[in-house]
Amino acid sequence: MAGMKTASGDYIDSSWELRVFVGEEDPEAESVTLRVTGESHIGGVLLKIVEQINRKQDWSDHAIWWEQKRQWLLQTHWTLDKYGILADARLFFGPQHRPVILRLPNRRALRLRASFSQPLFQAVAAICRLLSIRHPEELSLLRAPEKKEKKKKEKEPEEELYDLSKVVLAGGVAPALFRGMPAHFSDSAQTEACYHMLSRPQPPPDPLLLQRLPRPSSLSDKTQLHSRWLDSSRCLMQQGIKAGDALWLRFKYYSFFDLDPKTDPVRLTQLYEQARWDLLLEEIDCTEEEMMVFAALQYHINKLSQSGEVGEPAGTDPGLDDLDVALSNLEVKLEGSAPTDVLDSLTTIPELKDHLRIFRPRKLTLKGYRQHWVVFKETTLSYYKSQDEAPGDPIQQLNLKGCEVVPDVNVSGQKFCIKLLVPSPEGMSEIYLRCQDQQYARWMAGCRLASKGRTMADSSYTSEVQAILAFLSLQRTGSGGPGNHPHGPDASAEGLNPYGLVAPRFQRKFKAKQLTPRILEAHQNVAQLSLAEAQLRFIQAWQSLPDFGISYVMVRFKGSRKDEILGIANNRLIRIDLAVGDVVKTWRFSNMRQWNVNWDIRQVAIEFDEHINVAFSCVSASCRIVHEYIGGYIFLSTRERARGEELDEDLFLQLTGGHEAF
Amino acid sequence: MGESSEDIDQMFSTLLGEMDLLTQSLGVDTLPPPDPNPPRAEFNYSVGFKDLNESLNALEDQDLDALMADLVADISEAEQRTIQAQKESLQNQHHSASLQASIFSGAASLGYGTNVAATGISQYEDDLPPPPADPVLDLPLPPPPPEPLSQLVVKVHMNDNSTKSLMVDERQLARDVLDNLFEKTHCDCNVDWCLYEIYPELQIERFFEDHENVVEVLSDWTRDTENKILFLEKEEKYAVFKNPQNFYLDNRGKKESKETNEKMNAKNKESLLEESFCGTSIIVPELEGALYLKEDGKKSWKRRYFLLRASGIYYVPKGKTKTSRDLACFIQFENVNIYYGTQHKMKYKAPTDYCFVLKHPQIQKESQYIKYLCCDDTRTLNQWVMGIRIAKYGKTLYDNYQRAVAKAGLASRWTNLGTVNAAAPAQPSTGPKTGTTQPNGQIPQATHSVSAVLQEAQRHAETSKDKKPALGNHHDPAVPRAPHAPKSSLPPPPPVRRSSDTSGSPATPLKAKGTGGGGLPAPPDDFLPPPPPPPPLDDPELPPPPPDFMEPPPDFVPPPPPSYAGIAGSELPPPPPPPPAPAPAPVPDSARPPPAVAKRPPVPPKRQENPGHPGGAGGGEQDFMSDLMKALQKKRGNVS
Repeated sequence: MAGMKTASGDYIDSSWELRVFVGEEDPEAESVTLRVTGESHIGGVLLKIVEQINRKQDWSDHAIWWEQKRQWLLQTHWTLDKYGILADARLFFGPQHRPVILRLPNRRALRLRASFSQPLFQAVAAICRLLSIRHPEELSLLRAPEKKEKKKKEKEPEEELYDLSKVVLAGGVAPALFRGMPAHFSDSAQTEACYHMLSRPQPPPDPLLLQRLPRPSSLSDKTQLHSRWLDSSRCLMQQGIKAGDALWLRFKYYSFFDLDPKTDPVRLTQLYEQARWDLLLEEIDCTEEEMMVFAALQYHINKLSQSGEVGEPAGTDPGLDDLDVALSNLEVKLEGSAPTDVLDSLTTIPELKDHLRIFRPRKLTLKGYRQHWVVFKETTLSYYKSQDEAPGDPIQQLNLKGCEVVPDVNVSGQKFCIKLLVPSPEGMSEIYLRCQDQQYARWMAGCRLASKGRTMADSSYTSEVQAILAFLSLQRTGSGGPGNHPHGPDASAEGLNPYGLVAPRFQRKFKAKQLTPRILEAHQNVAQLSLAEAQLRFIQAWQSLPDFGISYVMVRFKGSRKDEILGIANNRLIRIDLAVGDVVKTWRFSNMRQWNVNWDIRQVAIEFDEHINVAFSCVSASCRIVHEYIGGYIFLSTRERARGEELDEDLFLQLTGGHEAF
Repeated sequence: MGESSEDIDQMFSTLLGEMDLLTQSLGVDTLPPPDPNPPRAEFNYSVGFKDLNESLNALEDQDLDALMADLVADISEAEQRTIQAQKESLQNQHHSASLQASIFSGAASLGYGTNVAATGISQYEDDLPPPPADPVLDLPLPPPPPEPLSQLVVKVHMNDNSTKSLMVDERQLARDVLDNLFEKTHCDCNVDWCLYEIYPELQIERFFEDHENVVEVLSDWTRDTENKILFLEKEEKYAVFKNPQNFYLDNRGKKESKETNEKMNAKNKESLLEESFCGTSIIVPELEGALYLKEDGKKSWKRRYFLLRASGIYYVPKGKTKTSRDLACFIQFENVNIYYGTQHKMKYKAPTDYCFVLKHPQIQKESQYIKYLCCDDTRTLNQWVMGIRIAKYGKTLYDNYQRAVAKAGLASRWTNLGTVNAAAPAQPSTGPKTGTTQPNGQIPQATHSVSAVLQEAQRHAETSKDKKPALGNHHDPAVPRAPHAPKSSLPPPPPVRRSSDTSGSPATPLKAKGTGGGGLPAPPDDFLPPPPPPPPLDDPELPPPPPDFMEPPPDFVPPPPPSYAGIAGSELPPPPPPPPAPAPAPVPDSARPPPAVAKRPPVPPKRQENPGHPGGAGGGEQDFMSDLMKALQKKRGNVS
């Protein structure tokens, strides 16, 4: 025992006084003074501190932080000597888990407790477990960007802050599902709302906000983001993060393993959100056509999520699936065995018959639209001079199977045209149908189904009609289209604005009424997708972009005089010209033999097969970020092999860790 | 033809009877009855095929046995479908029903012409004596009498200028037709065989993708068409899967890289394929360059800079850069097929003869809606065509390939087994479906069977064409031969496709872990005490993956003749002896590159990866066989 005294009060052992502050790093904090020797174990010191404080509290999460060395004293069996602690050490006795504000990929803020003492890799894994995101190795944390002091006029609206800081997870076990969500979310209405925020796509952002948010204008702007990644082998405390700080949670490595809509609602949604924001903020470029598909998917996803058709938590009950199969089999059998039913359904294929105006563009013709009697049956469109001639031969008959259907609609101009490009052995014949407002949706839906070889008897016909009507009402912005205003919290009064679905540069390029029909056109191909399917489709389309998954860093290659961009993707490194943006050279990881980091001169050297050597120093970000990216991707590529195994954290830290000892 | 015509008739009618029974037992797969409306005039199938009665009359003698073979194939196919239907319902694939239904409805619209053929069959059947009670094939009949499938007789031109007439029903995919042709032609069944459509008028041609519905494609042809269907080998068909580096890693215009590409080893190829086709989304090769575009309606060609993206072909408008935001869409692939153009230099004054054409499949004549493009050389041409196919068909292409590979390898094996089936029912249960029995005394390697089949298949596939070494794993239960002698020189068995490790050398860091990093010492950190184990992967003693030298793969086993015997169980020859126990697993090479592989057992292939594609990944083939066995066993049980 330290602190043996003589009768006169002199200490006769080698003990000395150690002052420990209680609380987080705060010079004003209360402190306790202990009598210790160099042989005292940390565990004993902890015990003494608690005794001295003499307060009833759960101290189990507390540990000692050594300020000067920026180090936690977590090895309770180590002695003070082993740690090298002397009387001048500034020690803080504080909690290891502290609250942070996490900015999620969907741009919502969430308060939760993160570990400040474990390596970031573990801390992120714990956060992901709490949020029920599988494969935490793909995510990491970024420092929030410095907030530029804006003029006081622009008051940011108070945003909702979700709070999970009181939720404690039992370690180790995967949280059980309860009422379709992980059990720890179902404790209170508040956490339940939080789960909905996590697992359901957010409504489209306000177009004005979209225009205000910073967007990268050049490649070098795109490098900025990557300078903010935190170090995954060190703890938050060591990286200067304080309790209550804001951090961004993002998918860092663009290699998404085993993406399964059924088991991963939160992961899928957050990934979708990150992809969506990537596109909206022009972090990744796409073509006009691709943007329309993205917009259509967003529109569709938003519609589904607002209308509450989130889809039952599928896959929870395999028995139910069996039942479904059995039922559908039965259905098929019944249909097969009862020919009369089939006959009925065949004979009652709905037809459309009406007066429409038709225009066939031909060379050297000045004829405009002409009124015809049009009959649409199965997939065939026939038109006659008048209704009386209908039993006879039509002027023309067109089988719409495989045709292209393009809407040409201007609601305010009361123009409802359907442009058809009908293939025939001779080529495509073009024909325009001009409908009345109330005719349009039915004819359009019929044309679309016919182009896919389906008739109006198809079950999707009604939903197709509804989708078209819904979209038409979108165009009547201001007039308050009926039925399309979802009851969701953020469905603004003016209806859906197509500008919220596309990147701002398209806002400048197109008027809203130009944009809407194009989105509608793209929407017809995705209208039948479920929420999860649509999200997955969105992610896939995002992944198919040529620039997908490239993280940009500004570097200076050895022997080069100008800065260049290094793009890091999941399978390759790309050398990119900074000014022009052209790819200069690509190296694949599969050809990489080794990479080294010289921490002194901040240089990364890589050797590829056939003695190709590359070396560069990092300009825009620390070279440890580049190093961690490379190592991380290589770690991720080993996952396929280790499928089903526990995450090999040591390997990850070994591949990404830097100069610190483990 | 030694047999008398009576014999043929007898057999023929038996077969028809069988077929009827089998079709009737297709509880799930029933077609809706024919539309009561009278056939429309414009639908006429006189293209390359006629209705059955007519063709029967018209057919010459040697075509009769061709048709017989077809019928056999049909029966076995019907059987297959029954089983598949059962299987599918077992596998919770309730959507398959709707899927097939949609295929039907697709076919239904072109059904009028074919109905003639269908009725032809049924009338014929009425005259037939009741089918003889076959102890093997007597299935319990479900009540609904469905409509027989409508069939077409298609004339296929072989590469020796002969033709074969073939029955194709409206549900058959190009893959099925190819399988039929394999049986008829005794060819080597390698993956390059394809159905090929040529349009003499437009001078364009293309191969059918294996998943395409043949009748549907043919229905786009006009009545008086000169179009033909060929059966031939085209190595372009699956070139990307044999040498993915030529499409994915080609550095334009750099000769040295081209050479290194040729040398890419099998393992890297595999990881490249996996990366490109097995992720959440497939990767379309990055392809861009100047091509000539034929201007609408003119014979002049304009050079433009084109880029391929997953969403379509784009070009760089005048005065713009090739950044994504400036690109203008040239065409999207949804409604067009890609064709090779032949001799367009002559026909359209194209700058070169390396042309490809994009058009809607229904367009059969010259039209401004046909897009003609022209490349500088054949390599570029092949890259574009393949790239467009990948963008258009996506993962389906890879699934097709894997089926083709499986088929190529299985062709000999399963036709052997096919005759054995009845006698030795336990045999095919090695399939992953059952998964429990390993009658061959197989070493317990989790689920090797798929891999073995695939690899064997792969070997077969590759043997015939180029002398590529087989991809590892030498379990070869079917081919009775001594184990290969120089086992140690073999490369370690690469993990099964899909489950394999992703790359060779990036795995080397794992090595660094073992050795504690012998390489470049990283300068120690400022104050942290122990010098850190450096991250570098310096690993000088690690040799590159061993070159693939090994003896050429076993000789090709010719497929046995198409056997009608498969139907008439009583006429079976004595079953061949069961395959010998397979060769032991190759001894892992000492110079195995990634130690991590050694640490972990090979990952079992994931069978259920995409249950949506029936038989998509070769495993289906086996599933089918084991299911067939079960069905047969069941049947026997019913009889006895």
